[in-house]
Amino acid sequence: MLCERCKIREANIQYTEVINGVRTEHNFCAQCAKELDFGQYSAIFDGEFPLAQLLSGLLGGEVPVQKKGRLQQVTCPTCGTTYEEFVNNSCFGCADCYGVFDLLIHDNIRQLQGNDSHKGKRPAYQGTLDELAEKEGGTEEDQGSRPPEEEIRLWERRLKEALRLEEYETAALCRDKIKELKEGKEADA
Amino acid sequence: MLKWFEQTEQENSNIVCSKIRLARNLSEYVFPSKLSPEESKEMLARLKEGLRDLGDLDGRDYETAGLDELSELDRRALRERRVLSSSILEKKAPMSILITREEDISLVLNGMDHIRIQVLSSGLHLTEAWKTADRIDDYVNARFAYAFDEKYGYLTSFPTNVGTGLRATAVVHLPSLSMGKKFPAMLNDMGRFGVCIRGVYGEGRENYGALYEISNQKTMGRTEKELTDLVNKVALQLNDQENQIRDMSLKSHRLEREDEIYKSYGVLKYARRLTMKDAMTFLSQLMAGVCDGLIRMEEPCPVFRLMLGIQTANLQKLSERPLDKTELDMARAAYLRSELPELAAV
Repeated sequence: MLCERCKIREANIQYTEVINGVRTEHNFCAQCAKELDFGQYSAIFDGEFPLAQLLSGLLGGEVPVQKKGRLQQVTCPTCGTTYEEFVNNSCFGCADCYGVFDLLIHDNIRQLQGNDSHKGKRPAYQGTLDELAEKEGGTEEDQGSRPPEEEIRLWERRLKEALRLEEYETAALCRDKIKELKEGKEADA
Repeated sequence: MLKWFEQTEQENSNIVCSKIRLARNLSEYVFPSKLSPEESKEMLARLKEGLRDLGDLDGRDYETAGLDELSELDRRALRERRVLSSSILEKKAPMSILITREEDISLVLNGMDHIRIQVLSSGLHLTEAWKTADRIDDYVNARFAYAFDEKYGYLTSFPTNVGTGLRATAVVHLPSLSMGKKFPAMLNDMGRFGVCIRGVYGEGRENYGALYEISNQKTMGRTEKELTDLVNKVALQLNDQENQIRDMSLKSHRLEREDEIYKSYGVLKYARRLTMKDAMTFLSQLMAGVCDGLIRMEEPCPVFRLMLGIQTANLQKLSERPLDKTELDMARAAYLRSELPELAAV
């Protein structure tokens, strides 16, 4: 039988749904099943389902140590939250943590939320580019005195803001500036 | 001034109350768990100053209180009245609350997130509550920039709130439905619709009072309206199913139902000692009786208010001293004796 969703691959998962006593049966292939939202059962179809990890946990074995050690060292520069801390408390320390841990938590958030992109309300006021510059204390001329990390962060915020306002020329300028600063920093070090 | 839970609605519904909560953080500060006491104080001062005229928005009076200055008992009482969440009861850092006199609208500042806006109402009014919360949110945002990300939406301390930061909750009374054998399985299945249901009162696996709280499981990937509508729909569906079962039992066992309800009333009205479990069980039966119009009292009987009233912290507050278990059971019975209206003359 072919998968009723893609109608290409062979169906190998049978899904029975009972809502208000009405029983419906569906046949999906593994790939489509993975893309659909089965709530708590989703994890079963997820290719990343950490069965090995689960077993090693049950058997008291260690999760691959090398990987664990490396991940634990990721630390948010703004608030000092480490990845290990986040895993233990499931609590972010600041808004920047989302960016810092993005690669590590992206899949978890998607699993938790069934989705990874926000829909719905957006803040009406986020401070315009000019206001941002004003708040950060000035224009391009007097920025030489700032430490490079702070400078990069400032330009990254401007980049984000420019993208939000869809001012792509400004965004490109910001991107170049960040690149330039990062290269400069590496050259210094 | 009547609190939100004292405003009775005569709509023969099993839906007891509903709540919208929005979690927001300011872009300028790190999240509360990493904020130093000095930074917390500075942020609170700025928030309080910025939100001083919040009352002008819809002509409501807000009071401000330092939550960390309140006694533990006062905090627990606020928790029982559903104003505070249990997670911040233990928190020691500077925290404040802006709250209306009716306690229906509150803003907890520097709790688990910088700002948590909460709108409560009796009955099912999620759409209106969302509109109110939305308006307050805009008001706050016009004065403070939020931590927001293009991909992840509103950034929150916990990944379980990120996105809309919205939690819509409805409390439903399901005395008959919850007796069904399939009920526990149904609760588990609810996850598939994107909502979770849990008992409000009880210990361990035992539920007292048959009150169940429905709320959206996920906060990201759906709009605020979609999330609110989802909880609304499930609450109405459960209410409907509960009513169907009760109608059936009323047709076949009217005498038994009436007997049960009047006996419950009798115990509540005349007992000298009532444990939490007993009181909640009898109040639950009374609630169903009032809803089905099987018992009439001289005044409208707000059963949910009584359920809130007999909770431990409230009773201790009323008696103005710590109570041991026996004294607590006596205070509970005394409270119900004085608060329960007389039966209407037939």
